[in-house]
Amino acid sequence: MLLSYRKLGGLRIALWAITLAVCLFLLVPIIFIAALSFGSSQWLIFPPPSWTTKWYHELFADPRWLQAAMTSAKVGLLSAALSVFLGLLASFALVRGSFPGRGILRALFLTPMVLPVIVFAVAIYALFLRIGLNGTLVGFVIAHTVLGFPFAVIAIVNSLEGFDKSIEDAAVLCGASPLQAKLKVTLPAIKLGLFSAAIFSFLISWDEVVVAIFMASPTLQTLPVRIWGALRQDLSPVIAAASTILVAFTLVVMALAALIRSRMNK
Amino acid sequence: MSQTTVAVERSPRRGRGIGPAVPAMLLLALFFIIPVFSLLLRSVTEPELGLQNYGELFATSTYARVFFNTFMVATVVTAVTLIIAYPVAWLLAIMPQRHANLVMAVILISMWTNLLARTYAWMVLLQRTGVINTTLMKLGLISEPLALVKNLTGVTIGMTYIMLPFVILPLYATIRAIDPSTLQAAALCGAGRWQAFRRVLLPLSAPGAAAGGLMVFVMSLGYFVTPALLGGASNMMLAEMIAQLVQSLLNWGLGSAAAFVLLVVTLAIYALQIRFFGGMR
Repeated sequence: MLLSYRKLGGLRIALWAITLAVCLFLLVPIIFIAALSFGSSQWLIFPPPSWTTKWYHELFADPRWLQAAMTSAKVGLLSAALSVFLGLLASFALVRGSFPGRGILRALFLTPMVLPVIVFAVAIYALFLRIGLNGTLVGFVIAHTVLGFPFAVIAIVNSLEGFDKSIEDAAVLCGASPLQAKLKVTLPAIKLGLFSAAIFSFLISWDEVVVAIFMASPTLQTLPVRIWGALRQDLSPVIAAASTILVAFTLVVMALAALIRSRMNK
Repeated sequence: MSQTTVAVERSPRRGRGIGPAVPAMLLLALFFIIPVFSLLLRSVTEPELGLQNYGELFATSTYARVFFNTFMVATVVTAVTLIIAYPVAWLLAIMPQRHANLVMAVILISMWTNLLARTYAWMVLLQRTGVINTTLMKLGLISEPLALVKNLTGVTIGMTYIMLPFVILPLYATIRAIDPSTLQAAALCGAGRWQAFRRVLLPLSAPGAAAGGLMVFVMSLGYFVTPALLGGASNMMLAEMIAQLVQSLLNWGLGSAAAFVLLVVTLAIYALQIRFFGGMR
């Protein structure tokens, strides 16, 4: 009766105890950082002697943090747009094409996801050193597009596979051009997939550290790179404030995405 | 009729419909495949043609130590996450839906929380004056603060934390797919709880455990951020060593060789997984 919740008996209590402990283990560090970012202790003593917002003031007073956030947003939006565009085209080929080696191409498109990031980071760093794209916005966008693209392909292929192509064919029979039919019939039908693809590839870029560390220059840094640099010096509470904003932003994006997705489904 | 249309559709050109994939293929060829291959090429061409980089990598005790550390940490993290994740995935698979949604939300939030923020949290929690040390000292369990960070203990704790969701989720999916009546059958045939667990539940959930375990093992081998921040200078792991060789020491030959070793081990483990468990699910 090990797979019946009601008949587990004493074992159920034991499993619940472990599960609750794991949930605490997963949540507490995140809450802890948010709490410390409002604590007054420079040495991150917990519980803090009193509460303050001065670390946030310090954060916003430093233009370098703001610049880094702007860079992160720019890189994230551009690479998400590029990932979705390329992913949409590639998905049409993967789902509708009938060429030899389709399975191999599909596997190839997903490899940036499974390859250790450090290998890709060093490889693209070597290339960009040679062609002068290191420390440039274009370099960041290209590198993050390679990493976000597989996620876009997965989301779009899934929704395109669920779309009945005969609806598009019907539009063509009714006199629409093939392109018109795709733009006005197919795209609206798979908008949920496109939307997920955009969110995923944006968040991949927004949170990406390893490639960004190699790509960054003193004048062009993303938010994670700036946090990384600060972390290697000391554990100042300003980092707690920056981390809290980073995490809050991700949560807001996820919540909005869930909301929009449920609206679109209706 | 349908046969003729198929024949007509296929006849004009082979390679039909590949066109739209060309831009993406170009992107990956130029900025992924070629760079990775030319990096690997550097491992046998710099400073001169030959395999001496690999010789140096395996013969030097400093580098051998890094490989040992990396495999040790990956093994321990995989074992610990599997043991902790199993009961959670098990309960998650059978608990009432509304509770399961909550537990799942916790797991997903933790997974999507920025990696640096989570690692930073552990740096603060584990430091000498951190909450864990001060609490243990207040309770009188220890008289001196424990060294929990800047060593492999810290790396193992931090990595376990990061990797847990990656084992819980596939295990959960596998256990959920097991037909509960197989366990009823075991009970009817007179199996005790322990026997039913060991002879029925455990073997049936093994594919999920293997998938999650292998994924965590592979990810741990190549992990950069958490080991670099929670580990000490004398306890480097593979990814950080590659970064240092390339960025600080400008030893591209040796760095590329280390990257190639990591790549081969990673691909070999994925190949094993696909061979025995039919790919990732």
